Formats: sequence, structure tokens, C-alpha cells
Amino acid sequence: MREVTATILENVRIAENIFSLTFATEEEMKVRPGQFCMVGVQNFPLRRPIAVCKAEGERITVCYQLKGAGTRTLAENYKQGEKLSVLLPLGNGFFVKEEEKRVALVGGGVGIFPLISAIRAYAGEKEVYSYMGFRSRAAYCLPYELQRSDRLVVATDDGSMGYRGTAVQAFMAEIDEIKPDVILSCGPLPMLRALKKATAGRDIPTFVSLEERMGCGIGACLVCVCERTDGAHTRVCKDGPVFDINEVIL
Amino acid sequence: MADLSVNVCGVTLKNPVIPASGTFGFGREFNELYDISCLGGVATKGLTLKPRLGNPVPRIAEGQSVILNAVGLQNPGVEAFLENDLAWLKQKTRVLANVAGSTIEDYAEICARLDGLVDFVELNISCPNVRCGGMAFGIRPETIEEVTRAAKKSLANTPLIVKLSPNVESIVLNAQAAERGGADCISLVNTFTGMVIDIEKRKPLLANTTGGVSGAGIKPIAVRMVYEASRAVHIPVIGMGGIRTAEDAVEFLMAGAAAVQVGTHNFTDTFACPKIIAGLNDWCDRHGVSHVSALTGALQ
Repeated sequence: MREVTATILENVRIAENIFSLTFATEEEMKVRPGQFCMVGVQNFPLRRPIAVCKAEGERITVCYQLKGAGTRTLAENYKQGEKLSVLLPLGNGFFVKEEEKRVALVGGGVGIFPLISAIRAYAGEKEVYSYMGFRSRAAYCLPYELQRSDRLVVATDDGSMGYRGTAVQAFMAEIDEIKPDVILSCGPLPMLRALKKATAGRDIPTFVSLEERMGCGIGACLVCVCERTDGAHTRVCKDGPVFDINEVIL
Repeated sequence: MADLSVNVCGVTLKNPVIPASGTFGFGREFNELYDISCLGGVATKGLTLKPRLGNPVPRIAEGQSVILNAVGLQNPGVEAFLENDLAWLKQKTRVLANVAGSTIEDYAEICARLDGLVDFVELNISCPNVRCGGMAFGIRPETIEEVTRAAKKSLANTPLIVKLSPNVESIVLNAQAAERGGADCISLVNTFTGMVIDIEKRKPLLANTTGGVSGAGIKPIAVRMVYEASRAVHIPVIGMGGIRTAEDAVEFLMAGAAAVQVGTHNFTDTFACPKIIAGLNDWCDRHGVSHVSALTGALQ
């Protein structure tokens, strides 16, 4: 974990309300799939937590959705060549065991971006099956990254592209065929709940990456907690953002 | 090189900069980024006798130049702190153990547990985010005096700081009540109770509805309160509220503070405290100030 003053290489719109921001850090960063960073935006007291999508040595790419004033400022005021204060890499990230060869990725909305880091980490080494949900064709993005998967199923709510329905439905339609050893997922809470319900009793290790409003991003302030099944509160930023689906209450 | 050390209640701090309670945990996470032994001290996350889970999420929101938090005193309890964190933190820097309770007996008991083990106890009678206790004790001079007296009785060997709420009728009367109760020092301000609404969803942004407002936007009010309180008591004052720079810290010192705490800005700039310490030294050098302690109350 370090604080770096990064130089922006690119900050462009890649889909409806979605921007891709690539920056260069001063030195090579080792980032695990599923880790995130905290990006400082001038005049906003809180940094924005954003999942790392691609990490290639000194080049880091994150994708973010325009949600409020902070992300709008990030999209509009931060141009190529400008400086950016970033804390990274943060959180635990995904972990796939050596013997787990068949990896299923189930993502929805902005949840697909941390999963892209998993595709990049495991494609070629393992069999990667991706089920990615978008609201519509207009939200679809990063095709070249997604297509590194051994199989890619795109699902849209309105059927304007690929499977009509949710990523979870698309995944469940094929689960018996692909027989995943492990499932990695990220997306809105209703999607994660649906995944938990649909896969209950199958005994497939499943890890979910959670999103929460954060303060410090490094585990000190106890702002971004989620409830564990044993009743304790655990920190999304430091103990997560990736949790065993049976370890947390969604 | 100016002398940045300050003496608060007979305890020497190597400089007057202390991260504020709740923004810094017990120091371990920030220590992964920089060696926290550079700090004047650390005000710990608010401790209670038993572990507390805190409030539902979301616990944080943002406004113009401010944030709002409603963590609700989540903490592992005083015993876990003593067992896992105190020894480590003590070898790094001065420890201000921030404590909270639901009853006067709670405050007395937790103070007794910490007596002689930490450098200061900071009595949190000003947390706006818990239903009972917290700020309930910090509103009226009578209860401030009573809870301070009970805490002080349990602290034979450790100086007592009483952390005051700004959500009050008279900061002067409350500061004097703490002094009468036996406080060795007061710290202020805790957060202002506030609220932000998501107008699209027509719902408060915080699960707790209201939260404590902190950050740069509250600074002028905090400076005024530190100024008023420090002139009304004879014990040292630790000032806080929206400090981002060494100049902000100097302003609080001039208003009457012997030391300062930095909260929200630790989130904006992880290195806020070391930068302020370095900046204080530069400021003193530029202004021919040989001892930073000479700035306390140094208004013309």
C-alpha cells in the first residue's frame, strides 16, 4: 500500500456513464486481481474507492461510473498529463487456489471491472467462464478484455444484446455444463443475493467483492463495514473487499 | 529548526500534532504508510467497556468542504485494546485513550481500567451518533461536571482530557464545568450534528439519518469556540476542527490551544499529519519563532 502521485495517461468515456482512467505511477505496482485504489479528487474531502481493472507495471487502469459530483469532477476536470493522488493497492483481492482450474466470473454493472482484473490474471492459466450483465447494449464495454475469457456470455436486462436476463440467470443456465471449481462475483447486492440463492447447496467456493462508502480506505476509520454471519462487523476496505459468500450477510 | 515540543499537563509531546479519535484507529494502518512515531500522540478510536458493533451503513457522507460520519463508536472494547494494541502504540508515541460510556459508572470503570497505562484519557462526552451516553453527557454543564468528577476519581495517575461537544448553548459554561469537575485539559470541538439528503431517493444519505459534521467547513466555528473556551479556563486546551495545513494549526494555537488534533484531513491526505508537522517547523523558522509553544494564545 502506497500513496502515489500518478500522471494521467487517458481519461475517456467508454460506455453510457462509464469512464476509463489510466494513469502511470512513479514505480511498478504489484496489484492482485480484485484490489482497489482510493483516488483523490480536488476539493472533495473523501477519496473515491475504485476497483483496479488492469495493472501493467506502472500503468494502472480503473473504470468508474458517473454517480455524483465527485466522479463528475473526475471525468470533466482530469485530463491527460495531469496529476492524481492515488492510494493503492488496497484490500485483499481475489484468491484462486492452484487446484481450482475452472473459474466462473459473474458480474453486473460496474461489478464487471474488478472481474476484468481476474480475467487478465487467470486467462490462459485456467479455464475462465465469464457471465457479464449490463443494463443494455449502450452500457456494454471493454469487449477485448472480456473476450480473453474462454467463454463469454453477455446478458442484458432488455435483451438488446446477448442473453435476455441477468448474469446470474445466464450463469445458472450453464453451470452444470461448465462445472466451475470456484465462482468470483461482483455486482449490485440483489445480484449477489440471487447468486447465493441460486448456487446454495452446490458446495462451490464462491467469493464476492463488495462495495461500500468508505472513509480512509485503509482500515482505520471503521466506516465501510459489512456484517459477518457470526454477527461481527468486518471492514470492507481492509478485510475485504472480497469475502467468501458464506462469511458475510448480503 | 524550531523546538516543536509542547507540554500538556506535565506530559511532553514531541510536537503538538495528534490525529483525532475515530480517524486513525489505533495507528497500525497509517503506520503501514509512514512511521507514526513522528506524531505528537495518537487519540485512539473511542473505547467502551464492551465491544460495540456501531451503526448500520452507510456511515459516511460528504458535503461542501465537510464530511458527515455516523460510525456509532464501533470498537473492540477496552480489554482488546489493552491486550492487542496499547503496548505497540506506546512504543511509537503518546497515547490519548478516547473513552465513551452509556452511564457515569461506565466512564468511571473504563477510566479505572486505563489509569496509569496510557498518557492521557480523553473523555468522549460528545459523540453525536449514539443513542444513549455520548453527547447526552456533554450538553449540560451539570452532567459534564458530574461525569468529569467520576472519571477523575478513577484516574489517580493519568491526566484527564474532557472532549467537548460544539452542539451546546454555551461552550464557555461547559468548559468551566469540565474544569470544576477536575479535568486536567479540555479538547474541542467534536463534530456538529448534521444531515444530508439524497433528493432523488428522498432519503437521508446516512443510515443513522444524522451524523457528525467535520472538515474544513467547520474551522472558523471551531477556532471561535477554542478561543472562547481557552479564555474561560485555566487548564490547557487541545484544539481541533477542520485543520488541513500548518497555518490552520497555527491559527488554533493562537486561539489558545496548546496542541491540535487533525481528523477528517487524514482521509483526504493520508500524510496530513507529517506534512503539518513539517509545515509547522517551516512556519516557525520563517517567523522567527524558536518554540512552537510560544504561539499558544499569542494573539496581539
